[in-house]
Amino acid sequence: MAIQLQQVSYIYADRSLWKQTALHDIDLAVPQGSMVGIAGATGSGKSTLLQLFNGILKPTGGSVRVLDVTIKAGEKSPKLLPLRRRVGLVFQFPEQQMFEETVEKDLCFGPLNFGLSLEEAKERAHRALLDMGLDPALLARNPFKLSGGQMRKAAIASVLAMDPDILVLDEPTATLDPLSRAELITLLERLCREQGRTVIIVTHRMDELLPYADSWVVLEKGRKAFQGSAQELARDPFILEQCGLTVPQSLRYWRAVADRFGLDNEAPCLTAESLAERIASLCAQPEEDGRGERDGYE
Amino acid sequence: MNETYRPVHAAAGEEQISVSLKEVSFGYDPEHPILQDITLAVPQGQWVSIVGPNGCGKSTLVKLLNALLPKSGGEIVICGHKLEEETISDIRQCIGMVFQNPDNQFIGATVEEDILFGLEGLCLPYAEMESRLHVYAAKLGIDHLMSKHPGELSGGQKQRVAIASILAMEPGIVIFDEASSMLDEGSRNELLGILQEMRTEGKYTILMITHDADEILAADRVVALAGGQIIADVTPEELFRDEVLLAECHLQMPYPWRLARELHRRGIDAGVAADEKELIDRIWPFNYNK
Repeated sequence: MAIQLQQVSYIYADRSLWKQTALHDIDLAVPQGSMVGIAGATGSGKSTLLQLFNGILKPTGGSVRVLDVTIKAGEKSPKLLPLRRRVGLVFQFPEQQMFEETVEKDLCFGPLNFGLSLEEAKERAHRALLDMGLDPALLARNPFKLSGGQMRKAAIASVLAMDPDILVLDEPTATLDPLSRAELITLLERLCREQGRTVIIVTHRMDELLPYADSWVVLEKGRKAFQGSAQELARDPFILEQCGLTVPQSLRYWRAVADRFGLDNEAPCLTAESLAERIASLCAQPEEDGRGERDGYE
Repeated sequence: MNETYRPVHAAAGEEQISVSLKEVSFGYDPEHPILQDITLAVPQGQWVSIVGPNGCGKSTLVKLLNALLPKSGGEIVICGHKLEEETISDIRQCIGMVFQNPDNQFIGATVEEDILFGLEGLCLPYAEMESRLHVYAAKLGIDHLMSKHPGELSGGQKQRVAIASILAMEPGIVIFDEASSMLDEGSRNELLGILQEMRTEGKYTILMITHDADEILAADRVVALAGGQIIADVTPEELFRDEVLLAECHLQMPYPWRLARELHRRGIDAGVAADEKELIDRIWPFNYNK
């Protein structure tokens, strides 16, 4: 497991009059090399949860195990610096954190801080930029002169340059145009599938991540309301409504088709292309046993 | 959607034009214009979506209308006022803007104070402020939140408060600059409902910068920008039927449209279904008549 949470709770301003519980009793396991989506209504605790993943916040109850480091509530925590290198956290609007005069300097900042030589850092910067699908020619450019989508990718590359095992992103596609959003999700999926990194994405656009995520975590008011595979979620997507979320169209259409044709035991088709393909194949062959007798109509 | 589309009449002079731009351009440096040669007329009461890829100049364009940014050339007329140094304050009273992140436009310590802030700025009599406060809070369903701090609200509630604050100032033109991009799907649908009510009232000319397929589809008209120029001025249906234009604008079709296209490519002409139940009704005969 890349990340394992046991009965974790988190209370802001604990031991004060204004204490506020953000997370209650969360049990969670994220397998290494998987792609996980986290969803939940505003104020459900998503951002608090993310900050537990690399020790920015320490649990006020339970234990958090990330890679080989365990942080237990009430105990002195181990050295967190190596963990912070291995877990890359990308906050909302990461481009707002760029500050250097060239993309290369910005990308080298992290690796240099973790003690790499300038040469190694540059090598990392180059690779990270390629991984985010950007042209290495951008290295010499001023980051503030890039387009919105390029800037977002460059900012994510600056976290990637630290070569993290786990990449955690908070709303990485927010405010990008639909084409750039789709591109970014594909790039993140490649990091997971080709390089074996664990990729965790918080999103309020479930529809765009649904075809790619291995599993989903849904939070409601600081509690875990669901954890399971996309297939399990597709079987009962209406749990999302109980959590104050809207069921994405791709799930609703799949649900309707799966109900009508009895497809619950197969992997869900969560893109327009795959669903159309499945419908076409249903229309091309006679319906299977039992459900729809042919009643001599041909 | 077609029945609600009100095209610009040939005899546009008779109709009231809220926003008129003639050969408007903008650039920080003349060598690299950000917008050039923008000519556009929006009649009173129309709902226009402004679309285009990130960085194409959409936000810049709407900021020229009330001189948040100074135009470099051309002529802008807003509700009959030609944009000049002396008319800027009149024009600003005609235009309300709602931005991406409502947090950036909160000023008051409570929702009530926040709505009143704009009204104080208009130097309205006390009784008028009181009455507008209640009318617009009720209209947007936030009357129960009046004493809350904006920080205690959910994203959707915050956006409602921001809209109430703007509408209370009774502008004729309301501009939404990606106002839903930070909202979850439920709150996005709420926002769409508010806009539809505004259209029904007929008092507002709505300009909405958006990438969201459902929002675009709800508008009367779509103006597409790319490379600093208007590349199309069409109905939402025309936009979503034109795959080349969609790609140029970095847009995607709404999911039911995409599904219809993919089914069509596979020889199933079921058309665009309004929802998943209709889809099942439409594809069932294809399965049954084999």
